[in-house]
Amino acid sequence: MEVTRRQFLKSLGSSCLLYAVSYVPGSGMQKIYSEPWPADKEDIECRFYALDTNYLDCFAFHEDGRVTVLAGRTELGQGFETVLNAIVTQGLDIPSNRLTIVLGNTDVCPDHGPTVGSSATEQVAWGIWEACSQLRKDIIRRAAKTHKLQVKDLIYQGGVVRSKREPERVIKPVETGRGEIVYMTLDPQASSSDRVTLEYKDLGLDNVNAESIVTGTRKYASDLKLPGTLYADWHIPPYHRKLTRIKSVDLADARATSGVNRVERIGSKVVALAERYNDVVKTLTRVKSVWEKPNRPKELRVEEEIRAGAVFQEIKEQTGDVNAGLASSYKTVTETYRTHYTAWAPIETYSALAKMEPGGDEVTIWSGSQYPHRVRELASLSLNLPESAIHFIHSPVGGAFGGKVAPPVSQEAADLSRRVGAPVKVIYSRKNQFQKRGLYKQACVFDFSTGVGTDGRLQARKLDIYQDLGEGTRDTYAAPHILIKHYRTDMPVNQANTRGTSYVQIGFAQESHMDMVAKAIGHDPFEFRRNNVVLESFVPLIDACADMIRYPRSGLGPDEGIGIGLCNHGARQMGVAAAHVKVNRKTGKVHVKEICAAYDIGTIINHRTVTTCLRGGMIWGLGWVLREEVKLDGHSVYTEHLTDYGVPRFSDTPEIKLQFLDNERPGKPRGCGELAVIPTVAAIANAVYHAIGVRFYTTPITPEKVLKALGKT
Amino acid sequence: MAKAWFTLNVNDKKRRVKIEPDEPLLWILRDDLDLTGTKFGCGVGECGSCSVLIDGIARRSCRVQAQNVSSGQKIVTIEGLGTRENLSPLQKAFVEHTAFGCGFCTPGMIITATALLALNPNPTREEIIEAMDNNLCRCGSYPNVIEAIMAFTNGTKP
Repeated sequence: MEVTRRQFLKSLGSSCLLYAVSYVPGSGMQKIYSEPWPADKEDIECRFYALDTNYLDCFAFHEDGRVTVLAGRTELGQGFETVLNAIVTQGLDIPSNRLTIVLGNTDVCPDHGPTVGSSATEQVAWGIWEACSQLRKDIIRRAAKTHKLQVKDLIYQGGVVRSKREPERVIKPVETGRGEIVYMTLDPQASSSDRVTLEYKDLGLDNVNAESIVTGTRKYASDLKLPGTLYADWHIPPYHRKLTRIKSVDLADARATSGVNRVERIGSKVVALAERYNDVVKTLTRVKSVWEKPNRPKELRVEEEIRAGAVFQEIKEQTGDVNAGLASSYKTVTETYRTHYTAWAPIETYSALAKMEPGGDEVTIWSGSQYPHRVRELASLSLNLPESAIHFIHSPVGGAFGGKVAPPVSQEAADLSRRVGAPVKVIYSRKNQFQKRGLYKQACVFDFSTGVGTDGRLQARKLDIYQDLGEGTRDTYAAPHILIKHYRTDMPVNQANTRGTSYVQIGFAQESHMDMVAKAIGHDPFEFRRNNVVLESFVPLIDACADMIRYPRSGLGPDEGIGIGLCNHGARQMGVAAAHVKVNRKTGKVHVKEICAAYDIGTIINHRTVTTCLRGGMIWGLGWVLREEVKLDGHSVYTEHLTDYGVPRFSDTPEIKLQFLDNERPGKPRGCGELAVIPTVAAIANAVYHAIGVRFYTTPITPEKVLKALGKT
Repeated sequence: MAKAWFTLNVNDKKRRVKIEPDEPLLWILRDDLDLTGTKFGCGVGECGSCSVLIDGIARRSCRVQAQNVSSGQKIVTIEGLGTRENLSPLQKAFVEHTAFGCGFCTPGMIITATALLALNPNPTREEIIEAMDNNLCRCGSYPNVIEAIMAFTNGTKP
């Protein structure tokens, strides 16, 4: 539900009780103080700006029993609104129809950082759950004070305070202080059990947006329209944008297109505007431009160039003496793995609607964003307007995956709206979605040297990481001697964070390599991992996967194999996946028959949301390792369609089995979306090896590569 | 091309629009008739997000020009299948099975599945995959969509 600041403040009036909850460290478990609500409405608005920076989530208790929650982070299709809905309805014991959750509106919502890294449930939703526990207590305390009752005689139930002695007596939260703001600080250092007095129960609620989604009534940014809106899209260079500049442009033909409103060159960019998007498309095909040819070879030798330009960044991990450790190992395995370029490829291309006020000094922007406050900040800089003059309203997103943190489309729409004096809706063509920003999940190179003892235990791990961020290398495998170095190279296209960040590349490489180390000493890949994982809590996950996929087993068909992959996503979230594949020797196609995965991710807020998210992550992983690839060379990107790119399809869908194990760390939920991707890629690669005995050192594992490896080309 | 008047039968209503004859049906639905449940995802018929029923057959509205639809043909969009208060059985199954991630491709999925079920009320898993294979979902909701359709056809759901 979309609530503008004005509507929101109007709905509040001065007759609600507002809690502003922050999670900054404080002394003691919590401190609470309150002050009267300012009479003047403008002051309230000012106060909200103050809340943006100093306080996080706000809970407004209304006269009629409704509760409004203003929280950080945004819904991206991962089910965050559903998670929050489950948490607040249960935490405050109110029905869903009395709850309004507002996310991503920069006027009224707190800045709680970007919605990335599968962290929203852990960092925000659980904080709100803890706050609910404290709110209940505080509301009882307040009710006792205002109504001159004893705390011990009161209970919180059904969203109100009730007297145990007089069951008819009901005190609504708002009755304990109409027009008051209560500031509450939860100390993150205090243990969760100190703060949480409630026991969360997963009721398996429907996704809160389900009905609007299935009826087509959910309004994404690309669906919004204001009277007089002009559509816009860009003419983009035929070369990598960081390697070219526009030399000349001929807009005569484009300007003669029927239906076109304007075609303009703005700096090095050319934009077309029209009342109908189809006319924008037609116009852009008639723009003629000449661009500087990139000053470098057209051929892109990815691995060589990554090595040649490598600049040392840092030592990621160092223990013992790795060279001595390698020298004294029973067997050493030295290998190089290289990954490929991929794209976010959301089904909704970049879209934003902006309406600049006459005078050009205030703008409202509707778009989908993983970080609305960052969009506001960037728009403030590029439009030269104060942040208070920019109202960003997060709209439902048709897929983000790291690509919609604060993309330029919002600023573009706002700038164009100011230029043309009308609302402007920018919608990127599919080609522009693939090419305009020049950001891709990086091709990386990994050089491994790993030493193992006769007992099957790792002795030394030496790893040089090129291009990858180097995350995800720690806390999976133990060894007395470790040296991991990280290098970066400036390539023709830049690094993008995508679902699974750089854990995906390293996950593929490290897990493939560990299989080869196991093989070098004749150990089973599952058993080898049981013996070498840093954390014992991995072992039950490995066992669960082995059970689900029935490994080891006899009777696998010809060219079928089973593989395993592990992931420790930041020492908090652990996942193991096992895959069963069949390789078609005629076509070279890898068919993933089944993926089984086990996770240790703490309390499940909504198993339906989590399951959907995890399955989707597995299919994303399958796509990355087998299908998807951005085609590019030293000058240009050539991928412009979803099918050329290789987005996974229904026919790629394996059978999926999931298990959630809660080892010794119950309680706080831990994120999981990215965790599904990472072990899957490795499990599939290792299953291919098990099936046909061929190790692929580069991704993706395409039918062409498989046929070549089998000597069929 | 000069604009001309066209009459379309959309969700059982006669609608008159003045547009260029080669205008894709997708943009007529979205911009002239405000039926934004039909989504733009690629514009070249690859993703299936713009699927609508034309005389019961699932078609890519981005690839159907206005001049190629006659006023006698019945166009049904996602909005014509059910409302929030009165979901179609298949829409209910999609809710029940959380058969979506972000939901952007979902209208196209439901349209395509509706057409499938009209022709083949009890499809197997393989038949579902074959019929749905050109509808893309980047969130990866495929297993849930398959389950939603299977549950519906097995009669275990309304």
